[in-house]
Amino acid sequence: MNILLYLFILLIGAFIGSKDFLKPKLLNRIGSIQTLSLLFLLFIMGVKIGLDKEIIFSLATIGLHSIILAVASIVFSILGVKLVSSKILREKVKVGDDI
Amino acid sequence: MTYKILTAVVAGILTGFFIYPDYLVQYIGLLIDLGLCLLLFFVGIDIGRQKDILLKVKVMGFKILLVPIMIGLGSIVGAIFGGIVIELPINEAAAVGAGFGWYSLSAIELSKHSAELGTLAFTTNVTREVIALITIPIIAKYIGKLESIAPAGATAMDTTLPIISRSTDGSVAIISFITGVVLSSLVPVLVPLMMKLTF
Repeated sequence: MNILLYLFILLIGAFIGSKDFLKPKLLNRIGSIQTLSLLFLLFIMGVKIGLDKEIIFSLATIGLHSIILAVASIVFSILGVKLVSSKILREKVKVGDDI
Repeated sequence: MTYKILTAVVAGILTGFFIYPDYLVQYIGLLIDLGLCLLLFFVGIDIGRQKDILLKVKVMGFKILLVPIMIGLGSIVGAIFGGIVIELPINEAAAVGAGFGWYSLSAIELSKHSAELGTLAFTTNVTREVIALITIPIIAKYIGKLESIAPAGATAMDTTLPIISRSTDGSVAIISFITGVVLSSLVPVLVPLMMKLTF
């Protein structure tokens, strides 16, 4: 699907980022371009949700059920990652020490 | 950042609902794809600038896969508990939870069983994505960087990746992408599988 395209774009970005020909001034500007395009993308994603009248009206009836299911999934996911995160990040600290 | 994200999403929903002209509807998918590609390019630049990232990720190795596994388990178990509260059969609740925020696919799959369940899968997973967009910066700041990938689920490789990348660092961004890829590949398998479960 799109996975390969995303990976390809990330790799191109990573290659350009790893070469030092981007000047700090340009990089600062990229930060604000990034924020702006992120907010624009989120706005458009919102438009897509809002356009679908069916979703909006079904949210009015089953919205509470959806929120309960979504929040429960999110909370348990966070707890799950919390159980293992120290295990994964501890290794990271070791790497930092070695360097 | 959270306020800006919330404002952008809500303003978008209101615009779409009240004023977005019908003739522009066909371009919306293209706009989202272009915006996403541009942002992923920037995420790539951030990753490339931190030189020791690949080494860090290499040392963490297969342990990284614990992140999608725990998010997958947590999403399904959480949905089952939520399902008990709203009196939804366990297998249906588990299937909705196994959408991991990928609303289009989980909704199509579950509407084969009933239109109602398809709609519930759709709204639940849209809700999950919106909550993820808003809470990721807060979770990254107060709970932990890896934990901020949790609400994103399958979207950790695309729509929520730019936010995770901005709120954390390059190595978490890589873990996030891997997590999103693993969870997205599991959605088409797990959603029908959960429906088959009998408790």
